[in-house]
Amino acid sequence: MRWLFSFLALALFCVVNARSFTGSRLLVVLEEESEREKYGVFLGDLESRGFTITTLTPKSESLSLFKHGARAYDHLLLLPTKSKGLGPALTANLLLDFMKKEGNVLLALSAETGTPTAVQSLLLEVDIHIPSDRNALVVDHFNYDSTSAAEKHDVLLLPFPKPARSDVKDYFGGEGVIAVPRAVGQTLGNESPLLAPILKAPSTAYSYNPKDEADIVEEPFAVGQQLNLVSAMQSLNSARLTVLGSAEALQNAWFAEKATLAGKAVKTANRDFAAKLSSWAFKETGVLKVGKLTHYLNEGSSKKLNSSSALPENNPKIYRIKNDVAFQIEVSEYTSTHLTPFELPPNDILQLEFSMLSPFHRLNLSPISQTANSTIFGASFRTPDQHGIFNFAVKYNRPFLTGIEEKRQVTVRHFAHDEWPRSWQISAAWVWIAGIWVTVAGWVVFVGVWLYSAPVGAAVKGGKKTQ
Amino acid sequence: MAATEGDQFLKQATGPKTRGLLRVIILVLIAGAAVSSRLFSVIRFESIIHEFDPWFNFRATKYLVANGFYDFWDWFDDRTWHPLGRVTGGTLYPGLMVTSGVIYHFLRFLTLPVDIRNICVLLAPAFSGLTAFATYLLTNEMVSSPSAGLLAAAFMGITPGYISRSVAGSYDNEAIAIFLLVFTFFLWIKAVKLGSMFWGALTALFYGYMVSAWGGYVFITNLLPLHAFVLICMGRYSPRLYVSYTSWYALGTLASMQIPFVGFLPIRSSEHMSALGVFGLIQLVAFVEFVRAQLPSKQFQTLLRALVVLIFVVAVGGLVLLTVGGVIAPWTGRFYSLWDTGYAKIHIPIIASVSEHQPTAWPAFFFDLNLMIFLFPAGVYMCFRTLTDEQVFIVIYSVLASYFAGVMVRLMLTLTPIVCVAAAMAFSQILDTYLDAKTPKVDAKTAENGSSEPAKVAAAAVLSDGLRSTRNPLVGIYSYASRVTVVGFSAIYLLIFVLHCTWVTSNAYSSPSVVLASRLPDGSQHIIDDYREAYYWLRQNTPENAKIMSWWDYGYQIGGMADRPTLVDNNTWNNTHIATVGKAMSSKEEVSYPIMRQHEVDYVLVVFGGLLGYSGDDINKFLWMVRIAEGIWPEEVKERSFFTPRGEYRVDEGATDTMKNSLMYKMSYYNYNSLFPAGQAQDRVRNVRLPSEGPQLNVIDEAFTSENWIIRIYKVKDLDNFGRDHHSAVSFDKGHKKKRAAKRKGPKVLRVE
Amino acid sequence: MAPKNRNPAATQSSTQTVPSTPAAAPKPSSSSTKKPGSGGAYDAQDIVLGIWNKYVEKTPQRVKLLDTFMGFLVVVAVLQFLYCIIVGNFPFNAFLSGFSATVGQFVLTASLRIQTNPENKSEFENISHERAFADFVLGSFLLHFFCVNFIN
Repeated sequence: MRWLFSFLALALFCVVNARSFTGSRLLVVLEEESEREKYGVFLGDLESRGFTITTLTPKSESLSLFKHGARAYDHLLLLPTKSKGLGPALTANLLLDFMKKEGNVLLALSAETGTPTAVQSLLLEVDIHIPSDRNALVVDHFNYDSTSAAEKHDVLLLPFPKPARSDVKDYFGGEGVIAVPRAVGQTLGNESPLLAPILKAPSTAYSYNPKDEADIVEEPFAVGQQLNLVSAMQSLNSARLTVLGSAEALQNAWFAEKATLAGKAVKTANRDFAAKLSSWAFKETGVLKVGKLTHYLNEGSSKKLNSSSALPENNPKIYRIKNDVAFQIEVSEYTSTHLTPFELPPNDILQLEFSMLSPFHRLNLSPISQTANSTIFGASFRTPDQHGIFNFAVKYNRPFLTGIEEKRQVTVRHFAHDEWPRSWQISAAWVWIAGIWVTVAGWVVFVGVWLYSAPVGAAVKGGKKTQ
Repeated sequence: MAATEGDQFLKQATGPKTRGLLRVIILVLIAGAAVSSRLFSVIRFESIIHEFDPWFNFRATKYLVANGFYDFWDWFDDRTWHPLGRVTGGTLYPGLMVTSGVIYHFLRFLTLPVDIRNICVLLAPAFSGLTAFATYLLTNEMVSSPSAGLLAAAFMGITPGYISRSVAGSYDNEAIAIFLLVFTFFLWIKAVKLGSMFWGALTALFYGYMVSAWGGYVFITNLLPLHAFVLICMGRYSPRLYVSYTSWYALGTLASMQIPFVGFLPIRSSEHMSALGVFGLIQLVAFVEFVRAQLPSKQFQTLLRALVVLIFVVAVGGLVLLTVGGVIAPWTGRFYSLWDTGYAKIHIPIIASVSEHQPTAWPAFFFDLNLMIFLFPAGVYMCFRTLTDEQVFIVIYSVLASYFAGVMVRLMLTLTPIVCVAAAMAFSQILDTYLDAKTPKVDAKTAENGSSEPAKVAAAAVLSDGLRSTRNPLVGIYSYASRVTVVGFSAIYLLIFVLHCTWVTSNAYSSPSVVLASRLPDGSQHIIDDYREAYYWLRQNTPENAKIMSWWDYGYQIGGMADRPTLVDNNTWNNTHIATVGKAMSSKEEVSYPIMRQHEVDYVLVVFGGLLGYSGDDINKFLWMVRIAEGIWPEEVKERSFFTPRGEYRVDEGATDTMKNSLMYKMSYYNYNSLFPAGQAQDRVRNVRLPSEGPQLNVIDEAFTSENWIIRIYKVKDLDNFGRDHHSAVSFDKGHKKKRAAKRKGPKVLRVE
Repeated sequence: MAPKNRNPAATQSSTQTVPSTPAAAPKPSSSSTKKPGSGGAYDAQDIVLGIWNKYVEKTPQRVKLLDTFMGFLVVVAVLQFLYCIIVGNFPFNAFLSGFSATVGQFVLTASLRIQTNPENKSEFENISHERAFADFVLGSFLLHFFCVNFIN
């Protein structure tokens, strides 16, 4: 009975908790403790999803991202502070180090308080640009909330974002309207493939400094869809940095506010958007996991393979040229609570490269089978006619998904001396085989006849000498 | 009487059985001397494999012993030439490894568990004893004097020319190849003298063994045909020559083609064409002789002339046609550079850069051969006086070997056996004449001259005509005075020879070159073990499959001692790959980094001698790296840009920008000025003062530097986690904040998804 | 001083005696009778006929046996070479081993012939005919072994 009880408890536990894939320790940094109230609902939602939240101010003595060389928290939520400096525990280098150790960071900016210098240099390093004016914010004269910002037009009401590319899954979609009050707009650099926009400003928005007296903004920081309100950077080790332009959007006040958009009354769906955003930012969604990766010789006795996931990887280290080889990789996607089989978006392909200095084969992996938790993709091919040290490489990097980068080294050897066709199997060689054996036969006959025949003359007999 | 008793005793002592026993004892002692004079480095340091090439042979032998012969034959080595790998089983000469393997298994069979390393280290001295014996046999065939052979064996045992490549620890192909060379020559001479197919077959078998052991077998392949050819030209064709040469050629060529590395070369390459040509020629001559026996001479002459002309034209024309048409490969670069010595520097810089391939300096002859070098022409001259078939061989071998030894230092080794033989012949002639206790009997004819002085008569008997002084010699050859003088001086020369050989062996040829030794100011020895320290650091601190990039000189040692995959090694079979490494070393970091990433390099190793004054370091070899890289990428790597406008090669303040930014320069001098007070960093090899600010490295991290800074190991950084280039990442880490991009004129670049 | 070794064949021909026995049954000709004509056609024919007659008369049966075998080998060699020229030399190692088997055997047999020729006795003092034959067998074994190994 006891096992049943613990089983039930466990099941209940799993159902209630939508846990992050990489851990549940969350550090929230705010200006002072009293501000925690303002974000109460949001933080409550996070706690109900299983995060253990520690709230500290930049001036706290015990604020440290690392403990004994490892990261002390799994995620970091930086809310805007009035001071320009974030203190010695939160410099840009330390924040980058935190991300190098796979910690996720959710940055909330505010146009009223400005951005700390540490955050500014951090954003500059990863090629996310914010306006140089401290108080610049995003204004839209067509999509604003007439209830709260009738004159200033600095509260935007936007629909949920749609995926920008057809081969990207939708993690942030939903019904309703998001209120984005007094946001700091960002632009993304063009060179880095690690950046992706989550929520773009509508085409009628622009960034402007309200303290600026002029009537016309001559060289705005950015306009239209080049301006991002929420952007994301996922580093090569899949640590996520999410930049939310408006920290106010997370406050209780805006979670279920009544607003007016172009005359119509709407209710803001910020709570929903905040949940989706934070679940992506803290690795509850969009996480891929690679299980077993097997390759085997697809000819002869090796053909029958036990692909049970219970067995550990035991791949051969050496193949021969012109061998038939099969490759399988097991991929799961983590969806808030458990691992599910990974389904490729409709236009997308997962590829296998078999390469030595440059790819000799680049094949599409097709789903072969599914287990309870994962999809198994596979491909088969023939090793090329070149010996060397090759790599099976699978690289899959898509926006909002953690990357797959798997490499297995394998040697491809030449033909052994007994793997060449024997001479009698080559029809062209029969003549010469015959030649040799005819020679040998003739020699045997000759030796026989010689031994049988008389020696050359009597003179030789007398002249026989020992050697 | 005492005299007769003494005579009888002497007679017994000089009976044939005693002489035989004495010879055996002497040969055993010579072998012992040969072995022991090669053991200096084992006693001073330890039993370790020396140099570079022997490390590869050692690794191959370990593989053979661990995995068996067939696995060794099919071995695909994936820990060298990453990522190309190397088909080692088919591209090495297996004779040395197989010999060691056989000895190892034989000793195990006798339940003597000798470690394979000790077998490999001591193989060369063991075979040197056998070489001395083979030289004894060879010289015995040349002259009938019993002492010549023993002298030749003694010379061969301790001469530095041979010791240089056969000390204990020098586990290289020459260790067994020289023994096989001399022994094959002995068998050949025996075959020619006896005209027996058995000896010819034996020659072929040992020739096959030699082909499996060393690339220098081509020397035998050309010397034996040349000998046969010269004999034919001298009019000394005989059936014995036919039997011995043809049985050697037929069986030997077949035997040599069994080695995969040689394969079809005996039919396809120019170096083997002389043997084939002489084979055809000898068939022709035999046929002509056969026909001559059947015909009266006048008809024969007509026939002969027509035949010879026709066939000669056909053969030479065919050969030229096949060479031009590409069926027969022309001379390979290695051997062609022996004729055209300037060829390699321009066309094949890798061959020219090896120090062993440089021409020989004059003093090297005396250094390696001592008194034998002036006895050598005397011995060759003696052969001219009694020009038997085998002595023709000595003459030809001497001439050919002298030329090659003059062209390439390494080939001094092939000159040494014949110098020993010829010198022994000359020396034994002296000793035989002056040590012989008897005075030769006076002829009846000369007694009529009326002279009663035995010396004068004897002198007259020996020299029928000659100088006036010999008719009335003052001292003469057979007087005790001259005997004592000459024999005394010979003994002194021999003693000096032994002293010289031992001194040269001890000082010049016994250094393991893995371990450097120097003297401290107080005279004690200071061992510099940086190489092994660094290799063992690699072995213990890096993952098993970490790939190491270094210049090709150190490849074998890294593979042998550190046991890590390397990119290029001493085999130098792929020039483009070496040039790629050269380009990575000589370009700036932004160019080197993609090359290193593409080749999956984990660590880079450089040798730097500046702190110690060790002049064999990579900065001194740097220009060769540049030249080799320039051979493949002439637009990207230019040797000229490493020289100042005035044409100097500098490493201090005045070094060119290309030099200062090259990866090799940065790796060598990184952090070097931290050893010295500010601004006084001194490079002790180039003898210059380095700039006060050292180079900065962005794409690699320093991982290890050995005690005397001789070896420096760097780790290649992974791609930056945030997609930045390494230069920016490093400057951010240092604290330089990135500046905001200045306002750009012109249209903005928009971001597209 | 050791005397220079003169060419022995020249001395042999002067000691040959011409037997007067009639010609034995003609055997297939060996390569020794092939030669291009030089001088007049009359001379060439004469030479050829003279040689042939002398050969058939003088040579003992054992030597003729040797010559038959050598001729047979030449025929096999020529056939193989023709095949190579017509059809091509793939696989090259097979061609080499087949061809070298015949060439090597020919050469060994020719050496045996030389060694058992009574006219050459002074050259081969140490080698009896039995020893020569034993050497021949040994050499042939080696040759066959190498050829079979090479052709795989």
